[in-house]
Amino acid sequence: MASRPGSPDYIIFYSVLALLGLGIVMVYSASAVSANVNFNDSYYFLKRQIIWAVLGLLAMIFTMNIDYHLWRKLAKPIILITIVLLILVLIPGMGKVVNGARRWLGSGSLYIQPSEVAKLSMVLFTAYYLANYQNKIQSFVKGVVPLLGMLAVIFGLILKEPDLGTALSIAGTVFVLLFIAGARVWHLGSLTAVGVVGIILAILAEPYRLKRLIAFNDPWADPLDTGYHIIQSLYAIGSGGIFGVGLGRSREKFLYLPEPHTDFIFSILGEELGLIGTTTILVLFFLFAWRGFKISMSASDVYGSVLASGITTMILVQALMNIAVVTASMPVTGIPLPFLSFGGSALIFTMAGVGILLNISKNVNS
Amino acid sequence: MASTSHVTIRKRLAVVLIIVILIMGALSCRLGYLQLYQSHWLSENAIDQRIRNIPVEARRGNIYDRKGQKLAVSISIESVYAIPAEIRDVETTAANLAAILDLDKNKLLDKLKKRQAFTWIARKVTTEQAEGVRKVDLAGIGLTEEGERYYPQDNVAAHVLGFTGLDSQGLDGVELTFDQYLRGNKGSIVIEYDAKGREIPYAVHRYLAPEVGNDVYLTLDIVIQQIVERELDKVMQETKAKGASIIAMDPYTGEILALANRPDYNPNHFAEYEPKNWRNAAISNAFEPGSTFKILTTTAALGEKIVSLNERFFDSGAIEVQGRTIHCWKHGGHGSETFKEVVENSCNTGFVTVGLRLGAENFYKYLHAFGLGETTGIDLPGEAKGIMIKESKVTPINLATMAMGQSIAVTPIQLIDAVCAVINGGEHIKPQIVREIKNKDGAMVKSFAKEGLGQVISNEVSVEVKEVLESVVANGTGKNAAIEGYRIGGKTGTAQKVGAGGYMPGKYIASFIGFAPADKPQIVFLVAIDEPEGIYYGGQIAAPVFKNVMQDVLPYIKN
Ligand SMILES: [Zn+2]
Repeated sequence: MASRPGSPDYIIFYSVLALLGLGIVMVYSASAVSANVNFNDSYYFLKRQIIWAVLGLLAMIFTMNIDYHLWRKLAKPIILITIVLLILVLIPGMGKVVNGARRWLGSGSLYIQPSEVAKLSMVLFTAYYLANYQNKIQSFVKGVVPLLGMLAVIFGLILKEPDLGTALSIAGTVFVLLFIAGARVWHLGSLTAVGVVGIILAILAEPYRLKRLIAFNDPWADPLDTGYHIIQSLYAIGSGGIFGVGLGRSREKFLYLPEPHTDFIFSILGEELGLIGTTTILVLFFLFAWRGFKISMSASDVYGSVLASGITTMILVQALMNIAVVTASMPVTGIPLPFLSFGGSALIFTMAGVGILLNISKNVNS
Repeated sequence: MASTSHVTIRKRLAVVLIIVILIMGALSCRLGYLQLYQSHWLSENAIDQRIRNIPVEARRGNIYDRKGQKLAVSISIESVYAIPAEIRDVETTAANLAAILDLDKNKLLDKLKKRQAFTWIARKVTTEQAEGVRKVDLAGIGLTEEGERYYPQDNVAAHVLGFTGLDSQGLDGVELTFDQYLRGNKGSIVIEYDAKGREIPYAVHRYLAPEVGNDVYLTLDIVIQQIVERELDKVMQETKAKGASIIAMDPYTGEILALANRPDYNPNHFAEYEPKNWRNAAISNAFEPGSTFKILTTTAALGEKIVSLNERFFDSGAIEVQGRTIHCWKHGGHGSETFKEVVENSCNTGFVTVGLRLGAENFYKYLHAFGLGETTGIDLPGEAKGIMIKESKVTPINLATMAMGQSIAVTPIQLIDAVCAVINGGEHIKPQIVREIKNKDGAMVKSFAKEGLGQVISNEVSVEVKEVLESVVANGTGKNAAIEGYRIGGKTGTAQKVGAGGYMPGKYIASFIGFAPADKPQIVFLVAIDEPEGIYYGGQIAAPVFKNVMQDVLPYIKN
């Protein structure tokens, strides 16, 4: 299949650049205090985020210039490698434990999170599967179940770390892709029911999740313990008002909101840049969603279409979950904000995904 | 290309996009709610958790006498506080402080480990202790100045001044009734901290200066007050009485010029005295006044014109009312006498006759007009109302005894206030204890003008009563109050105390009310001596006290 050369979708390109730029500024602003306290270097996270952003841009340019059909061929090996990495990270001594979760693999200054790899590879695999077996998609047993089997393996391994946020975002993405690819609605409805039961069971298995759930409902019931993060997040966002307290002037970052440059970066942004800033972020993600789905609609083949939806959905699910969590609109689930949160491997794989999306956009039916 | 599946994909993508838009819309609303509607509340709370307030005590206003003599002042004393979050080494800090301030180390440790923004370690420490704390310079431990009340005249006017507690709050006397003027407004040092208790750069860091309290100028004249205090000490020693009170008042303005009681206390060490010493008997204790009350009976009778000064009475020594015999204090009676002589002699049977002639309605009209049966409203705490038989229940025997100052209980302040109305031309005036309140720059905050409560009698009646009372001192029972070269008016009183089972044998209150000059009084005194040992007649022990005081006061007020 020959690619017809075209220009990439510039709206996506510039939205992502804008998010990335805001991310670098906010990572610096949010982390300067804790970086100074913990590493004696206010620029500690800024320097690293710039390096990751450059590497991410390179990854994007790289994938943008690779014909996306290559990923269809590599989908199976990539998912196998991902599963191996997910198993390796669980082996004590191999995986590095941070904050009670065994998520990191690597040594020295180079660490990656296999769960971040899994996000992209699961999208690649799902697109490959749905494109290859689209004639069986209407069948639950022959079409849906095999994909769910793969999802169960990945989901289970990630949950073991534990990293519920990532596991849920992957499951959500696969679910949306099944819907888009044409799975029967009542199949998906039944799956949703099963999923709800599963979530209830997961909560009952780990008491801390129940606590978090309660904290979300009424964070002030236990302000010093489970409700603490969410209260500090609301203080930050609420303090911002319309125009914010000014860039660099966040108060919550003074160790009240732990690790403000990662999962709670949106809260600091809300405090410093106000409703203007938070709305800007929502608008940028909306532009991304709109153009991403537009690429999907006009992709030249079903594979490209599902792949484009998959990448768009994957990023969008994380963004919406993150914003919902920090505004206390859903229970606390650790999930970074794509493009903005500090985090090396996450940013590189996200940007690689954007590159693939842009490559698909170059080959649309005009 | 399978176009059917492509159509499905497009339709379903549209559904997904709509769902995404809905979710984003919901999140926008949530953000709008948090950043617009709840913004104020959330940012206030966020600031609250970062702000620490170190209170700065306001200096309490001074209390002066009418001429500007200092009666109560505030001096600064340092107190030690802790901000637990700022303390680096709790063990060392506690050990150091325990040694310097002589405190229990373990209790101190508990205090310092508590999660609180601010706590007192020791209030009002000595200069050496404060210096010691300053020298070790511990993180999270600081010194702040607090006001300590000091009464330079010690016991003088203690019952008027009252005293203050540890937090400089007024607890008694003028310190209590004028607390809101004296106490000023607390200031604070506001510092913004991070979650580990360190100061945040470019943060809120304000010093809210405390507002110094206002100064209160009393109506008291410290010279007269000191004379009164001196004579009280003397009479207490001479009579071995249980207590004594003197009030001095300006009859035309209602201003209290002196007020003192025994037993008393030193407000600098008020806690070392029994609470009964704090009691301001002059306004809190009601007693049966006895003959001094006859001033009011005389006034009512002359006011109602039911008797004239020259009308003749005959005292056989006893009179029967409702089957009960009331004796005159003089055995055998005073015989034939004019009403003026009845007053001069303080003749009981004469007053009983006049009281019965007056009748309940007329008598009560005057008692109410003089303010008896209710508090005078003087700005001092703990004033009593006294006891008065209800007008509807009063019997002739009640009326007969009330006419001579029994069967009714009044406070010294009620009695002297009523007498003021009698001798000032007939106007009932509220007693005043404070003249004016000024702020620290000397500007007037509030001044207390004379508060007239209505005309009780005509000036003619007032002049008549003054003349009679002048002859009481000149010719009658009040001879011991006479001072050569001055026109003095007054009336003695001797009343047996009433206990649970009626009159208590051997327990009397001797009293005297007098004023000078008799024609246009500048000052009126009430002297009451509670349970003197030995001689208990008002004319013999209370009148001389009045004389001694007046002798020194008259030359003073002439200037
Ligand atoms: Zn007689």
